[in-house]
Amino acid sequence: MLATRKAFILSAPALVVLVAFFVVPLALTLVESLRDGGGWTLERYASVLSQRSFRVALVRSLKLGALVTGIAALVGYPAAYAISKLERGKRTLLMSLIILPLMTNPVARTYAWFVVMGRHGIINRGLLALGLAERPIKILYTEGAIAVGLLQLFLPLMLLSLVSALENVPAELEEAARSLGANGFRAFRRVVLPLSADGLVIGGTLVFTGSITAYVTPAILGGTRVLMLSTLLYQKAMTLMDWEGATVVAVVMLLLAVGLNALLRRLRPREAM
Amino acid sequence: MRRFSVGLLVFGLCLAAWGAFAEEVPPKPAKLVVSTWGFNLDLIRKNIAEPFQERYGIEIVYDLGNNAARLARLVANKDNPVVDVVHFTRAYAYRAIQEGLLQPYNPDNIPALAEIYEWARDPLGGNYAVGYAVQHLALAYRPDRISPPVTSWKDFWRDDVAGYITLPDMNTTYGPAVLIMCARAWGGSEENLEPGWEKLAELMPRLTTIYRRSSEAITLFQQEEVWLAPIPSFAWGRLEAAAAAAGFPVEQVIPVEGLVGELSVVAVVKGTPNAYWAEKYIDFILSREVQTAQALDLVDSPVNMNVELPPEIGAKLTYGKEIIDALIFFDQAFIAQHLDEWIARWNEIRTQ
Repeated sequence: MLATRKAFILSAPALVVLVAFFVVPLALTLVESLRDGGGWTLERYASVLSQRSFRVALVRSLKLGALVTGIAALVGYPAAYAISKLERGKRTLLMSLIILPLMTNPVARTYAWFVVMGRHGIINRGLLALGLAERPIKILYTEGAIAVGLLQLFLPLMLLSLVSALENVPAELEEAARSLGANGFRAFRRVVLPLSADGLVIGGTLVFTGSITAYVTPAILGGTRVLMLSTLLYQKAMTLMDWEGATVVAVVMLLLAVGLNALLRRLRPREAM
Repeated sequence: MRRFSVGLLVFGLCLAAWGAFAEEVPPKPAKLVVSTWGFNLDLIRKNIAEPFQERYGIEIVYDLGNNAARLARLVANKDNPVVDVVHFTRAYAYRAIQEGLLQPYNPDNIPALAEIYEWARDPLGGNYAVGYAVQHLALAYRPDRISPPVTSWKDFWRDDVAGYITLPDMNTTYGPAVLIMCARAWGGSEENLEPGWEKLAELMPRLTTIYRRSSEAITLFQQEEVWLAPIPSFAWGRLEAAAAAAGFPVEQVIPVEGLVGELSVVAVVKGTPNAYWAEKYIDFILSREVQTAQALDLVDSPVNMNVELPPEIGAKLTYGKEIIDALIFFDQAFIAQHLDEWIARWNEIRTQ
């Protein structure tokens, strides 16, 4: 009882901030999207959901979000595994190197891709020099450009989650599995992977929600035509003054993030825990 | 008889004096609040605010911001206006008229109207606004990349420029004009935009991207992502400089379909107690002296027909018989009426 009260008092400031600046505006957004004068309506959802531009942006967001999350997991897992096996000093150094790109300004970081992906960028110059292309190919303002930018942006989050999960897997367990006859792959699949699944779930949620909500990267690398939900939301709110449409897009994005988190939690292999 | 004529003379003099008294100008305010964009503010102070104060003893105070923000402030202060005179693009002036925020000017107080082009005198009808600066939508292109040269809006559909072109967004100043010009180029008209819509849908996959601000268009040229684009004339100087710095040529052409023209307009805010002085301000900025000074500093292109500019300055502006004769101004009321519908359709065809 006392402990509960203490916990409540200690968390009260954070709770007040969260409720005032997150829960209340969120609830207002939700309610607003369903209100029509005095009554309730789903008409706005029907109208926005029937727009081709919305459906294209939704599919693209899901596709790029899944793609980036998948690649981040595939690329991130071996690296995180290797890092978690290092001694403390080296591990700290590598971890700070991973965090470094997160500390650069997102606009500057994204514009740096222009130098790489532009018509006269490093990639195109390489392709021309190797004779693989006759004229510079279009890389900027495509889905591929957005995917690369998002991967660079969110891979560190996947790595951080995986490293901290893998650190907590006792090395002895893997050894025990091996000594009991499991080969390397089996020991990994039956012991290490289930025990680090939390890291994958958290990392996956962060990368996926990050990817579908990121604004600067798709805005700069995708331009005004290759729209994702976030850039569509901005366009509706800031350039078209279509607040109702923007609200609907915001609610859809929120549902996606919550839904994915629930899904990944369910996918986690519980029997091993 | 003589006495009678003396009496008449005295009477006449009295009448004249009374008349002069009645016509005496309204009291001078200490300051006149002018709402404008704030580009080139130093030059505008030098060319307008300082000489205006010198002549009339009235200080000019600026309320700065983009069209939308300043329109919102006018709406907020509608019942108690704090701004005396406002500068807008035609589209926003039209919206301000619809909102009942402007009042018609008295042409008698603006004698300089006689010196400006006929199409600038009352571009929105009802004497609500005066065009004081003219712009055009230039077709800018890279002559080193595109041959034969660009001559028409139809050249955007040429295969050799595919993937190297951009257009302004529909909800920018020139967006609607692009639609109408495309319709005209492909056999349509303002009344029949369908050919324009069909051709634009065909063009969409060939665009590098769609730009919202002129600075974005300049960047696209700079990065060699774009070789051909319609750009507002006020951005031409910056594009020329960027091209020179990057070491490639750019040229602008007057397309065979004609040159889209646009006006910056100035208007008296409804309910201001200083309407007379607001009109004097409008008269002042239309004068040959101010229009010449603004043009020489490359701030605005003149609408005053008596302004004469050296050729190297004129070439950077919307100036000279060839350009002025080619100008087309689309009806702002017509555009405003259809804009929402156009934006919705544009957003459907643009989606990649």
